[in-house]
Amino acid sequence: MVEKWESALVLVGHGSTLNPDSSAPTFQHADEIGRRELFAEVYCAFWKEEPSLREVLRMVESDDIYIVPNFISEGYFTETIIPRELELTGPVTRRSGKVIKYCEPVGNDPRMVDLLLRRAQDAAPNVPREKTSLLIVGHGTSLNQKSAEAAQQQVRVIREKRLYAEVTEAYMEEPPFIADWRKNTSQRHVVVVPFFIADGLHSYQDIPVLLGIESDRTAAASQQEIFRRNPYNMDGRELYYASAIGTEPLMADVILDTVARFDRRHLCDVAA
Amino acid sequence: MIKDELARLITDGYNALGELGFAESSTGYRLYHWADRNSLNQARIYRSPKDAREIAKYDSSGAYRPLKGVPNLPRGWVLELPNINDLKTALDFFYPGAVATWLAFREGKAQPVCLRQTLNRQTGMYRVTGKLTDDQAQSLVKEACRSDSRCLRTILWGIEADHPPDFLPASKSDPTVDQTGQSRTTLPFLCLEACNLLVAAARTTVKKSSR
Repeated sequence: MVEKWESALVLVGHGSTLNPDSSAPTFQHADEIGRRELFAEVYCAFWKEEPSLREVLRMVESDDIYIVPNFISEGYFTETIIPRELELTGPVTRRSGKVIKYCEPVGNDPRMVDLLLRRAQDAAPNVPREKTSLLIVGHGTSLNQKSAEAAQQQVRVIREKRLYAEVTEAYMEEPPFIADWRKNTSQRHVVVVPFFIADGLHSYQDIPVLLGIESDRTAAASQQEIFRRNPYNMDGRELYYASAIGTEPLMADVILDTVARFDRRHLCDVAA
Repeated sequence: MIKDELARLITDGYNALGELGFAESSTGYRLYHWADRNSLNQARIYRSPKDAREIAKYDSSGAYRPLKGVPNLPRGWVLELPNINDLKTALDFFYPGAVATWLAFREGKAQPVCLRQTLNRQTGMYRVTGKLTDDQAQSLVKEACRSDSRCLRTILWGIEADHPPDFLPASKSDPTVDQTGQSRTTLPFLCLEACNLLVAAARTTVKKSSR
Protein backbone atom coordinates (compact mmCIF):
# COMPACT_ATOMS: atom_id res chain seq x y z
CA MET A 1 0.00 0.00 0.00
CA VAL A 2 1.17 3.53 -0.80
CA GLU A 3 1.78 5.47 2.42
CA LYS A 4 3.28 8.91 1.87
CA TRP A 5 2.70 10.75 5.10
CA GLU A 6 5.35 13.35 4.32
CA SER A 7 4.44 13.82 0.66
CA ALA A 8 1.83 15.78 -1.25
CA LEU A 9 -0.29 14.44 -4.07
CA VAL A 10 -1.45 16.82 -6.79
CA LEU A 11 -4.04 15.45 -9.19
CA VAL A 12 -4.13 17.36 -12.44
CA GLY A 13 -7.33 17.48 -14.45
CA HIS A 14 -8.34 19.32 -17.60
CA GLY A 15 -11.34 21.12 -16.12
CA SER A 16 -13.69 23.27 -18.15
CA THR A 17 -14.97 26.83 -18.24
CA LEU A 18 -18.21 25.56 -19.79
CA ASN A 19 -19.05 22.23 -18.17
CA PRO A 20 -19.38 21.90 -14.38
CA ASP A 21 -18.89 18.11 -14.46
CA SER A 22 -15.49 18.05 -16.13
CA SER A 23 -13.57 18.38 -12.85
CA ALA A 24 -15.87 16.05 -10.88
CA PRO A 25 -13.83 12.83 -11.31
CA THR A 26 -10.63 14.58 -10.25
CA PHE A 27 -12.25 15.97 -7.10
CA GLN A 28 -13.94 12.61 -6.43
CA HIS A 29 -10.67 10.69 -6.41
CA ALA A 30 -8.84 13.40 -4.46
CA ASP A 31 -11.58 13.20 -1.81
CA GLU A 32 -11.30 9.42 -1.62
CA ILE A 33 -7.50 9.43 -1.37
CA GLY A 34 -7.70 12.24 1.20
CA ARG A 35 -10.16 10.18 3.23
CA ARG A 36 -7.66 7.32 3.38
CA GLU A 37 -5.06 9.68 4.95
CA LEU A 38 -2.18 8.30 2.88
CA PHE A 39 -0.62 11.67 1.97
CA ALA A 40 0.19 14.76 4.04
CA GLU A 41 -1.74 16.85 1.51
CA VAL A 42 -3.94 16.18 -1.52
CA TYR A 43 -4.74 18.92 -4.02
CA CYS A 44 -6.35 19.19 -7.41
CA ALA A 45 -5.20 21.55 -10.16
CA PHE A 46 -6.60 22.25 -13.60
CA TRP A 47 -5.80 23.68 -17.01
CA LYS A 48 -9.19 25.38 -17.31
CA GLU A 49 -10.27 25.82 -13.71
CA GLU A 50 -8.81 26.94 -10.40
CA PRO A 51 -6.43 26.38 -8.81
CA SER A 52 -4.45 26.58 -12.01
CA LEU A 53 -1.26 24.69 -12.65
CA ARG A 54 0.54 27.98 -12.07
CA GLU A 55 -0.98 28.42 -8.61
CA VAL A 56 -1.16 24.99 -7.08
CA LEU A 57 2.45 24.51 -6.02
CA ARG A 58 2.18 27.62 -3.86
CA MET A 59 -0.52 25.79 -1.90
CA VAL A 60 1.61 22.70 -1.33
CA GLU A 61 3.72 22.72 1.83
CA SER A 62 5.39 19.30 1.61
CA ASP A 63 8.88 19.10 0.11
CA ASP A 64 8.10 15.84 -1.69
CA ILE A 65 5.37 16.20 -4.32
CA TYR A 66 3.78 13.67 -6.67
CA ILE A 67 2.00 15.07 -9.72
CA VAL A 68 -0.47 12.61 -11.26
CA PRO A 69 -2.25 13.65 -14.48
CA ASN A 70 -5.85 12.49 -14.34
CA PHE A 71 -5.74 12.15 -18.11
CA ILE A 72 -6.76 9.22 -20.25
CA SER A 73 -3.51 9.05 -22.23
CA GLU A 74 -0.08 10.43 -22.89
CA GLY A 75 -0.38 13.30 -25.32
CA TYR A 76 -0.36 17.04 -25.77
CA PHE A 77 -1.41 17.81 -22.20
CA THR A 78 0.89 15.41 -20.42
CA GLU A 79 3.88 16.11 -22.67
CA THR A 80 3.53 19.84 -23.35
CA ILE A 81 1.00 21.71 -21.21
CA ILE A 82 1.52 20.22 -17.75
CA PRO A 83 5.36 20.21 -17.79
CA ARG A 84 5.41 23.73 -19.20
CA GLU A 85 2.92 25.22 -16.74
CA LEU A 86 4.50 23.50 -13.72
CA GLU A 87 8.01 24.24 -15.05
CA LEU A 88 9.06 20.61 -14.84
CA THR A 89 12.41 19.48 -16.24
CA GLY A 90 11.69 15.74 -16.40
CA PRO A 91 10.25 12.94 -14.28
CA VAL A 92 12.07 14.45 -11.27
CA THR A 93 12.38 18.23 -10.85
CA ARG A 94 14.27 19.78 -7.93
CA ARG A 95 13.40 23.36 -7.13
CA SER A 96 13.67 25.53 -4.02
CA GLY A 97 14.29 22.53 -1.77
CA LYS A 98 11.37 20.58 -3.20
CA VAL A 99 11.37 17.37 -5.21
CA ILE A 100 8.56 17.27 -7.77
CA LYS A 101 7.81 13.83 -9.19
CA TYR A 102 5.90 13.75 -12.45
CA CYS A 103 3.98 10.49 -12.84
CA GLU A 104 2.37 8.89 -15.87
CA PRO A 105 -1.26 9.68 -16.71
CA VAL A 106 -3.77 7.38 -15.05
CA GLY A 107 -4.87 6.14 -18.47
CA ASN A 108 -1.61 4.20 -18.82
CA ASP A 109 -2.82 1.74 -16.21
CA PRO A 110 -3.50 -1.71 -17.74
CA ARG A 111 -6.89 -1.84 -16.00
CA MET A 112 -8.33 0.72 -18.42
CA VAL A 113 -9.31 -2.14 -20.75
CA ASP A 114 -11.40 -3.74 -18.02
CA LEU A 115 -13.05 -0.42 -17.23
CA LEU A 116 -13.96 0.16 -20.88
CA LEU A 117 -15.46 -3.34 -21.11
CA ARG A 118 -17.38 -2.82 -17.88
CA ARG A 119 -18.84 0.44 -19.22
CA ALA A 120 -19.84 -1.31 -22.47
CA GLN A 121 -21.50 -4.09 -20.50
CA ASP A 122 -23.33 -1.64 -18.21
CA ALA A 123 -24.63 0.40 -21.16
CA ALA A 124 -25.86 -2.58 -23.17
CA PRO A 125 -26.18 -5.61 -20.84
CA ASN A 126 -28.48 -7.60 -23.09
CA VAL A 127 -27.09 -7.18 -26.59
CA PRO A 128 -25.67 -10.28 -28.30
CA ARG A 129 -21.99 -9.37 -28.38
CA GLU A 130 -21.35 -11.59 -31.40
CA LYS A 131 -23.66 -9.27 -33.34
CA THR A 132 -22.36 -6.02 -31.88
CA SER A 133 -19.79 -3.42 -32.89
CA LEU A 134 -17.88 -1.90 -29.99
CA LEU A 135 -16.76 1.61 -30.87
CA ILE A 136 -14.15 3.27 -28.62
CA VAL A 137 -14.23 7.03 -29.18
CA GLY A 138 -11.32 9.27 -28.24
CA HIS A 139 -10.34 12.90 -28.69
CA GLY A 140 -7.48 12.59 -31.17
CA THR A 141 -5.52 15.68 -32.09
CA SER A 142 -3.07 16.78 -34.73
CA LEU A 143 -0.98 18.28 -31.92
CA ASN A 144 0.15 14.89 -30.61
CA GLN A 145 -0.30 11.41 -32.02
CA LYS A 146 -0.19 9.65 -28.66
CA SER A 147 -3.79 10.48 -27.82
CA ALA A 148 -5.04 8.34 -30.72
CA GLU A 149 -2.36 5.68 -30.21
CA ALA A 150 -3.63 5.09 -26.67
CA ALA A 151 -7.16 4.46 -27.94
CA GLN A 152 -5.79 2.20 -30.68
CA GLN A 153 -3.92 0.19 -28.07
CA GLN A 154 -7.15 -0.35 -26.10
CA VAL A 155 -8.93 -1.42 -29.28
CA ARG A 156 -6.16 -3.91 -30.12
CA VAL A 157 -6.30 -5.52 -26.68
CA ILE A 158 -10.10 -5.71 -26.63
CA ARG A 159 -10.17 -7.08 -30.19
CA GLU A 160 -7.85 -9.91 -29.18
CA LYS A 161 -10.32 -10.95 -26.49
CA ARG A 162 -12.85 -11.77 -29.28
CA LEU A 163 -15.81 -10.70 -27.15
CA TYR A 164 -17.47 -8.51 -29.80
CA ALA A 165 -18.07 -9.10 -33.49
CA GLU A 166 -16.17 -5.93 -34.22
CA VAL A 167 -14.04 -3.52 -32.19
CA THR A 168 -12.98 -0.24 -33.73
CA GLU A 169 -12.14 3.37 -32.85
CA ALA A 170 -13.15 6.88 -33.89
CA TYR A 171 -12.09 10.40 -32.93
CA MET A 172 -13.37 13.92 -32.61
CA GLU A 173 -10.48 15.67 -34.36
CA GLU A 174 -8.88 13.15 -36.67
CA PRO A 175 -10.03 10.29 -38.91
CA PRO A 176 -11.79 7.93 -38.61
CA PHE A 177 -14.30 10.52 -37.42
CA ILE A 178 -17.04 9.78 -34.90
CA ALA A 179 -19.65 11.28 -37.22
CA ASP A 180 -18.90 8.48 -39.73
CA TRP A 181 -19.82 5.69 -37.29
CA ARG A 182 -22.59 4.37 -39.56
CA LYS A 183 -20.22 3.46 -42.38
CA ASN A 184 -17.33 2.45 -40.10
CA THR A 185 -19.29 -0.14 -38.13
CA SER A 186 -20.93 -3.20 -39.60
CA GLN A 187 -23.18 -4.68 -36.92
CA ARG A 188 -26.80 -3.90 -36.09
CA HIS A 189 -25.96 -3.20 -32.46
CA VAL A 190 -23.34 -0.54 -31.80
CA VAL A 191 -22.02 0.16 -28.31
CA VAL A 192 -20.07 3.41 -28.03
CA VAL A 193 -17.73 3.91 -25.08
CA PRO A 194 -15.97 7.27 -24.69
CA PHE A 195 -12.25 6.97 -23.94
CA PHE A 196 -12.43 10.01 -21.68
CA ILE A 197 -12.00 10.70 -18.00
CA ALA A 198 -15.08 12.83 -17.42
CA ASP A 199 -18.63 13.03 -18.68
CA GLY A 200 -17.74 16.59 -19.55
CA LEU A 201 -17.99 18.86 -22.54
CA HIS A 202 -16.64 16.41 -25.12
CA SER A 203 -17.99 13.05 -24.03
CA TYR A 204 -21.35 14.27 -22.78
CA GLN A 205 -22.16 17.29 -24.91
CA ASP A 206 -20.11 17.10 -28.14
CA ILE A 207 -19.96 13.39 -28.99
CA PRO A 208 -23.75 12.76 -28.76
CA VAL A 209 -24.14 15.45 -31.44
CA LEU A 210 -21.44 13.81 -33.60
CA LEU A 211 -23.19 10.44 -33.20
CA GLY A 212 -26.51 12.01 -34.17
CA ILE A 213 -28.31 11.06 -30.95
CA GLU A 214 -28.68 14.75 -30.09
CA SER A 215 -29.22 17.54 -32.62
CA ASP A 216 -27.66 20.20 -30.45
CA ARG A 217 -25.37 20.42 -27.46
CA THR A 218 -27.47 19.46 -24.43
CA ALA A 219 -27.17 20.54 -20.81
CA ALA A 220 -24.34 19.16 -18.70
CA ALA A 221 -24.57 15.60 -17.36
CA SER A 222 -25.41 16.76 -13.84
CA GLN A 223 -28.40 18.62 -15.24
CA GLN A 224 -29.98 15.89 -17.37
CA GLU A 225 -29.65 12.19 -18.11
CA ILE A 226 -28.62 10.92 -21.49
CA PHE A 227 -27.51 7.38 -20.67
CA ARG A 228 -30.91 6.19 -19.51
CA ARG A 229 -32.35 6.69 -22.97
CA ASN A 230 -30.34 3.80 -24.48
CA PRO A 231 -30.79 2.35 -27.02
CA TYR A 232 -31.07 4.96 -29.76
CA ASN A 233 -32.72 3.49 -32.85
CA MET A 234 -31.22 5.10 -35.93
CA ASP A 235 -31.29 3.99 -39.58
CA GLY A 236 -32.15 0.42 -38.61
CA ARG A 237 -29.28 0.30 -36.11
CA GLU A 238 -29.42 0.17 -32.32
CA LEU A 239 -26.88 2.48 -30.71
CA TYR A 240 -25.93 2.42 -27.00
CA TYR A 241 -23.87 5.24 -25.50
CA ALA A 242 -21.88 4.59 -22.32
CA SER A 243 -20.57 7.01 -19.70
CA ALA A 244 -16.87 7.91 -19.39
CA ILE A 245 -14.62 5.66 -17.32
CA GLY A 246 -13.03 8.27 -15.08
CA THR A 247 -15.73 8.25 -12.42
CA GLU A 248 -15.15 4.56 -11.60
CA PRO A 249 -14.30 4.31 -7.86
CA LEU A 250 -11.43 2.01 -8.86
CA MET A 251 -9.66 5.07 -10.28
CA ALA A 252 -8.51 6.12 -6.79
CA ASP A 253 -6.55 2.85 -6.60
CA VAL A 254 -5.27 3.41 -10.12
CA ILE A 255 -3.90 6.80 -8.99
CA LEU A 256 -2.16 5.21 -5.99
CA ASP A 257 -0.70 2.50 -8.23
CA THR A 258 0.55 5.22 -10.59
CA VAL A 259 2.48 6.74 -7.66
CA ALA A 260 3.87 3.33 -6.68
CA ARG A 261 4.91 2.69 -10.29
CA PHE A 262 6.72 6.03 -10.38
CA ASP A 263 8.70 5.07 -7.28
CA ARG A 264 9.71 1.74 -8.77
CA ARG A 265 10.80 3.26 -12.09
CA HIS A 266 12.54 6.37 -10.81
CA LEU A 267 14.15 5.18 -7.59
CA CYS A 268 17.62 6.02 -8.95
CA ASP A 269 16.57 9.47 -10.29
CA VAL A 270 15.16 10.45 -6.90
CA ALA A 271 18.16 9.15 -4.98
CA ALA A 272 20.61 10.98 -7.27
CA MET B 1 2.44 26.48 7.98
CA ILE B 2 -0.22 28.30 5.98
CA LYS B 3 -2.99 27.41 8.44
CA ASP B 4 -1.01 28.79 11.39
CA GLU B 5 -0.35 32.03 9.54
CA LEU B 6 -4.04 32.24 8.62
CA ALA B 7 -4.95 31.85 12.30
CA ARG B 8 -2.51 34.66 13.19
CA LEU B 9 -3.98 36.94 10.51
CA ILE B 10 -7.49 36.37 11.90
CA THR B 11 -6.26 37.16 15.42
CA ASP B 12 -4.73 40.33 13.97
CA GLY B 13 -8.17 41.38 12.72
CA TYR B 14 -8.42 40.17 9.13
CA ASN B 15 -12.03 39.08 8.62
CA ALA B 16 -12.69 39.11 4.87
CA LEU B 17 -11.51 37.72 1.55
CA GLY B 18 -13.24 38.54 -1.70
CA GLU B 19 -16.98 38.31 -1.03
CA LEU B 20 -16.41 36.22 2.10
CA GLY B 21 -16.47 37.12 5.74
CA PHE B 22 -15.05 34.92 8.51
CA ALA B 23 -14.61 35.02 12.26
CA GLU B 24 -13.73 32.86 15.23
CA SER B 25 -16.77 31.33 16.88
CA SER B 26 -17.46 29.48 20.12
CA THR B 27 -17.04 26.17 18.24
CA GLY B 28 -14.23 27.08 15.83
CA TYR B 29 -14.61 29.32 12.81
CA ARG B 30 -17.58 30.72 10.94
CA LEU B 31 -17.45 31.48 7.20
CA TYR B 32 -20.18 33.28 5.27
CA HIS B 33 -21.03 35.68 2.45
CA TRP B 34 -20.10 39.14 3.70
CA ALA B 35 -23.47 40.53 2.60
CA ASP B 36 -25.18 38.03 4.96
CA ARG B 37 -23.15 39.03 8.03
CA ASN B 38 -26.14 40.62 9.75
CA SER B 39 -28.62 37.86 8.91
CA LEU B 40 -26.69 34.66 9.61
CA ASN B 41 -29.52 33.30 11.74
CA GLN B 42 -31.50 32.95 8.50
CA ALA B 43 -28.66 31.24 6.59
CA ARG B 44 -28.51 27.53 5.87
CA ILE B 45 -25.85 25.88 8.02
CA TYR B 46 -23.13 23.67 6.52
CA ARG B 47 -20.40 21.91 8.48
CA SER B 48 -17.98 20.35 5.97
CA PRO B 49 -15.32 22.35 4.13
CA LYS B 50 -16.22 20.34 1.01
CA ASP B 51 -19.64 22.02 1.07
CA ALA B 52 -17.73 25.16 0.05
CA ARG B 53 -16.85 23.54 -3.25
CA GLU B 54 -20.52 22.98 -4.10
CA ILE B 55 -21.63 26.42 -2.86
CA ALA B 56 -18.96 28.07 -5.03
CA LYS B 57 -19.85 26.04 -8.13
CA TYR B 58 -23.00 27.88 -9.26
CA ASP B 59 -24.30 31.44 -8.92
CA SER B 60 -27.74 32.26 -7.55
CA SER B 61 -29.31 31.73 -10.99
CA GLY B 62 -27.79 28.25 -11.25
CA ALA B 63 -25.12 29.25 -13.79
CA TYR B 64 -21.73 27.56 -13.54
CA ARG B 65 -18.90 29.66 -12.01
CA PRO B 66 -15.64 28.50 -13.62
CA LEU B 67 -13.85 31.66 -12.43
CA LYS B 68 -14.10 31.92 -8.67
CA GLY B 69 -13.07 35.60 -8.52
CA VAL B 70 -16.29 36.76 -10.17
CA PRO B 71 -18.35 38.74 -7.63
CA ASN B 72 -21.44 36.57 -7.94
CA LEU B 73 -21.05 34.13 -5.06
CA PRO B 74 -24.49 32.94 -3.93
CA ARG B 75 -25.78 34.06 -0.53
CA GLY B 76 -27.79 32.46 2.26
CA TRP B 77 -25.33 29.95 3.74
CA VAL B 78 -22.95 29.76 6.67
CA LEU B 79 -20.15 27.26 7.22
CA GLU B 80 -19.53 26.30 10.86
CA LEU B 81 -16.05 24.78 10.88
CA PRO B 82 -14.35 23.18 13.89
CA ASN B 83 -10.75 24.24 13.22
CA ILE B 84 -8.40 26.45 11.25
CA ASN B 85 -7.44 23.62 8.90
CA ASP B 86 -11.05 23.26 7.76
CA LEU B 87 -11.34 27.03 7.35
CA LYS B 88 -8.23 27.04 5.15
CA THR B 89 -9.63 24.16 3.08
CA ALA B 90 -12.97 25.94 2.64
CA LEU B 91 -11.26 29.21 1.65
CA ASP B 92 -9.30 27.24 -0.95
CA PHE B 93 -12.56 25.98 -2.46
CA PHE B 94 -14.02 29.48 -2.64
CA TYR B 95 -10.84 31.23 -3.77
CA PRO B 96 -8.31 28.55 -4.75
CA GLY B 97 -4.79 29.34 -3.63
CA ALA B 98 -5.62 32.92 -2.59
CA VAL B 99 -4.18 32.70 0.93
CA ALA B 100 -1.08 30.75 -0.17
CA THR B 101 -0.45 33.20 -3.01
CA TRP B 102 -0.69 36.20 -0.70
CA LEU B 103 1.70 34.64 1.82
CA ALA B 104 4.18 33.58 -0.90
CA PHE B 105 4.11 37.06 -2.43
CA ARG B 106 4.57 38.72 0.96
CA GLU B 107 7.61 36.53 1.63
CA GLY B 108 9.10 37.26 -1.80
CA LYS B 109 8.63 33.64 -2.93
CA ALA B 110 6.20 34.42 -5.75
CA GLN B 111 6.50 37.16 -8.35
CA PRO B 112 4.06 38.52 -10.94
CA VAL B 113 4.45 37.18 -14.49
CA CYS B 114 3.80 39.74 -17.24
CA LEU B 115 1.06 39.09 -19.79
CA ARG B 116 3.51 38.96 -22.68
CA GLN B 117 5.42 36.10 -21.04
CA THR B 118 2.19 34.21 -20.38
CA LEU B 119 0.96 34.62 -23.97
CA ASN B 120 4.31 33.90 -25.61
CA ARG B 121 4.64 30.50 -23.97
CA GLN B 122 1.23 29.31 -25.23
CA THR B 123 1.05 26.52 -27.80
CA GLY B 124 -1.64 24.82 -29.83
CA MET B 125 -4.88 26.78 -30.17
CA TYR B 126 -3.58 29.56 -27.89
CA ARG B 127 -0.29 30.19 -29.73
CA VAL B 128 -2.01 32.91 -31.72
CA THR B 129 -2.40 35.02 -28.54
CA GLY B 130 1.23 36.08 -29.00
CA LYS B 131 -0.12 38.44 -31.68
CA LEU B 132 -2.24 40.42 -29.20
CA THR B 133 -1.15 44.07 -29.46
CA ASP B 134 -0.47 46.22 -26.39
CA ASP B 135 -3.57 48.29 -27.11
CA GLN B 136 -5.74 45.19 -27.47
CA ALA B 137 -4.25 43.77 -24.28
CA GLN B 138 -4.96 46.90 -22.27
CA SER B 139 -8.57 47.13 -23.50
CA LEU B 140 -9.13 43.44 -22.87
CA VAL B 141 -7.76 43.44 -19.32
CA LYS B 142 -9.62 46.63 -18.39
CA GLU B 143 -12.90 45.03 -19.38
CA ALA B 144 -12.39 41.30 -18.66
CA CYS B 145 -10.90 41.78 -15.19
CA ARG B 146 -12.91 44.73 -13.83
CA SER B 147 -13.68 44.33 -10.15
CA ASP B 148 -17.30 45.50 -10.22
CA SER B 149 -18.47 42.56 -12.33
CA ARG B 150 -15.72 40.30 -13.68
CA CYS B 151 -13.03 39.45 -11.09
CA LEU B 152 -12.14 40.61 -7.60
CA ARG B 153 -8.44 39.81 -7.82
CA THR B 154 -5.86 42.58 -7.54
CA ILE B 155 -3.71 42.54 -10.69
CA LEU B 156 0.02 42.86 -10.08
CA TRP B 157 1.29 41.97 -13.58
CA GLY B 158 1.77 44.38 -16.46
CA ILE B 159 1.66 43.80 -20.18
CA GLU B 160 5.45 43.83 -20.55
CA ALA B 161 8.15 42.67 -18.12
CA ASP B 162 9.09 45.22 -15.43
CA HIS B 163 6.12 47.43 -16.35
CA PRO B 164 3.45 47.85 -13.67
CA PRO B 165 -0.20 47.64 -14.78
CA ASP B 166 -0.46 51.45 -14.90
CA PHE B 167 -3.15 51.27 -17.60
CA LEU B 168 -5.56 50.06 -14.90
CA PRO B 169 -7.17 52.21 -12.22
CA ALA B 170 -4.60 52.49 -9.41
CA SER B 171 -6.98 50.73 -7.02
CA LYS B 172 -7.05 47.57 -9.21
CA SER B 173 -3.34 46.97 -8.65
CA ASP B 174 -3.10 48.01 -4.99
CA PRO B 175 -3.17 44.97 -2.64
CA THR B 176 -4.30 47.16 0.25
CA VAL B 177 -7.51 48.15 -1.55
CA ASP B 178 -10.65 46.11 -0.93
CA GLN B 179 -11.84 45.31 -4.47
CA THR B 180 -15.44 45.04 -3.26
CA GLY B 181 -15.23 48.74 -2.42
CA GLN B 182 -16.14 48.23 1.24
CA SER B 183 -12.86 49.12 2.99
CA ARG B 184 -12.84 45.93 5.07
CA THR B 185 -9.76 44.44 6.74
CA THR B 186 -9.45 42.01 3.91
CA LEU B 187 -6.78 39.48 2.97
CA PRO B 188 -5.29 40.56 -0.36
CA PHE B 189 -6.70 38.51 -3.23
CA LEU B 190 -3.85 38.67 -5.71
CA CYS B 191 -3.56 37.87 -9.39
CA LEU B 192 0.10 37.17 -10.16
CA GLU B 193 -0.47 35.93 -13.70
CA ALA B 194 -3.21 36.06 -16.33
CA CYS B 195 -5.60 33.12 -15.97
CA ASN B 196 -6.61 30.71 -18.73
CA LEU B 197 -9.91 32.54 -19.20
CA LEU B 198 -8.05 35.72 -20.07
CA VAL B 199 -5.75 33.79 -22.42
CA ALA B 200 -8.84 32.34 -24.11
CA ALA B 201 -10.34 35.84 -24.36
CA ALA B 202 -7.07 37.06 -25.89
CA ARG B 203 -7.42 34.34 -28.53
CA THR B 204 -10.93 35.53 -29.36
CA THR B 205 -9.69 39.13 -29.66
CA VAL B 206 -6.85 38.19 -32.01
CA LYS B 207 -9.09 35.96 -34.12
CA LYS B 208 -11.72 38.70 -34.47
CA SER B 209 -9.17 41.35 -35.43
CA SER B 210 -7.58 39.12 -38.08
CA ARG B 211 -10.87 38.51 -39.89
